[in-house]
Amino acid sequence: MPTLAAHPNAQNEPVLLACGLVKQFAGRRVVDGVDLRCRAGQVLGLLGANGAGKTTTLRLCYGFLQPDAGTIRVAGVDRHTDPEAAARWVGVCTQDDTFDTDFTVRGNLEQMSRYFRPRPPAVKARVTALLERFGLDRYANAKPDILSGGYRRRLMLARALVHEPRLLFLDEPTTGLDPQARLEVWELIDTLRREGLGIVLTTHYMDEAERLSDELLILREGRVVAAGHSRAVLGNLIGEHMLVLDARDPAVPAVRDWVRQAGLPEPTRVLSSLHLALDGPGLAQFSTRFGDLRFEVRPPTLDDLFLKLAEPS
Amino acid sequence: MIPSYRAAFQWQSRAVLGRHLTVYRRNWHTAALPPLLEPIILLLAFGVGLGGFIPEFAWRGRPVSYLAYLAPGMLAYTAFMTAFFQALFAAYIRMHYQKTWEGQLVTQLRLEHVVWGEVLWAATLGTVYALIVTLVLAGFSLTGWLQLYWANAFLVLPLLFLAALAFATLGLLFTALVPSIDHMNIPFFLVIMPLGFTSSTYFPLEGDSPWTQAWLVLNPLHHLAEGIRLLLLVGEPNHHLVAACSLFLLMILILIPVDERLLRRRVLGEG
Repeated sequence: MPTLAAHPNAQNEPVLLACGLVKQFAGRRVVDGVDLRCRAGQVLGLLGANGAGKTTTLRLCYGFLQPDAGTIRVAGVDRHTDPEAAARWVGVCTQDDTFDTDFTVRGNLEQMSRYFRPRPPAVKARVTALLERFGLDRYANAKPDILSGGYRRRLMLARALVHEPRLLFLDEPTTGLDPQARLEVWELIDTLRREGLGIVLTTHYMDEAERLSDELLILREGRVVAAGHSRAVLGNLIGEHMLVLDARDPAVPAVRDWVRQAGLPEPTRVLSSLHLALDGPGLAQFSTRFGDLRFEVRPPTLDDLFLKLAEPS
Repeated sequence: MIPSYRAAFQWQSRAVLGRHLTVYRRNWHTAALPPLLEPIILLLAFGVGLGGFIPEFAWRGRPVSYLAYLAPGMLAYTAFMTAFFQALFAAYIRMHYQKTWEGQLVTQLRLEHVVWGEVLWAATLGTVYALIVTLVLAGFSLTGWLQLYWANAFLVLPLLFLAALAFATLGLLFTALVPSIDHMNIPFFLVIMPLGFTSSTYFPLEGDSPWTQAWLVLNPLHHLAEGIRLLLLVGEPNHHLVAACSLFLLMILILIPVDERLLRRRVLGEG
């Protein structure tokens, strides 16, 4: 009889190891040679503008889609050679609510457990524990339609965990939630990480990516443009400093000329301000050249990165 | 065995079937009313009411009442309609509006299991509804209005299950093809009406033209209705049963991979 013991390879390698993923739709490469790895107890954040390939990458990893090229190993199991065994260790919280509206909240968790073999042990006790843990116990016998947005997310998370996965995929887990509900979901994700679950998430919220992720993977047009800790990624992609000046200042054309001559990336216009990424020497040169100009210098944020990624290449 | 067919026997397909059974069991008292009342109403309205104006007529050289002619046709029609509509409307709603399929496809279930789960469920429901019609017919027999070979009546159920499987694969084809729920009338006019009303279910379809003959040879519902009719009214195993089984198997063999391919494109965007 099959047991819940993980594959022997699982001890020696990350809970998710994907190499050279490629996916095409209608001849267009949506994912183009993406590598990613996630260890147990780690949160890997996938970041990118709309259409960067985040959701498709996630869908490849959790088996909803098949890659055209590349390999995916989950808990030591090759997804291509044994998709069923690989899927046993994966929990998924999709962007849309995909719980079963024909079942109650409790029924959703029980039904979800029937889609996995080997079956999780002591399902009834686990369902009750999950309902309590996610604050869903008072709605246990209600249909999910009556739940608020935050509680719907909690149900999606609880469903994804009912079969005791080792790897959790969260596709924009807090989109559409109010700040209070977002904080609650963040806390739940933090707890799951501490319990040793590997978590891969996509998000549009920069604060969320920075707050939750141990490592970031930045995607642009299906390719990884940077990977690593958020500070390192920002330094590599944006620069050490972000200089902000008034876009209506008469000196702006001169600043643009100077940027062009210095071979620096074009400044980004954000409402009435102009954002210019500079390294240390660049900032010193700028101060010397435009000493009379009023400007502000601050460390780069993931918002700057997002704006940069959203620019046409 | 090709993966598309092997999936029919895997636990994941049974898990999908189990899900539908669980939902149905909860609502059985309301869900079972239409299949119970519909044949009673139809048999009373057409068999007894309209049949009262139709004198006994010759069918295959034997005199039969319209009620006796209609009863086996209703069995075939019930399996056909129930399976087709369950695989069309109900499956479409689960696929498109309820996102039940998407929730299943992030587990150990793959698309071929969801497809087979839907087909098996539609066939199960079609057979159960046909069984209810059989019980209604038994009630009519007790009144003396119907004389059937009852020993054969329950032999017909496995055949109806096979028929319902085949018609479910046809329903699922349209689930994969219709652009939106507003276009559901297309399969109704393209499949239900031509197949249903030209299949010897409600009236004998005869004709010498090569087109009529070709249509009767190729229409599986005609073979099903005539096969069951011969079995229940005359008590004879017959070539229509063999033809019906062959056509249903052919439909399943062809349509399952086609459904899977089209749904893969529709649901996953692949292919």
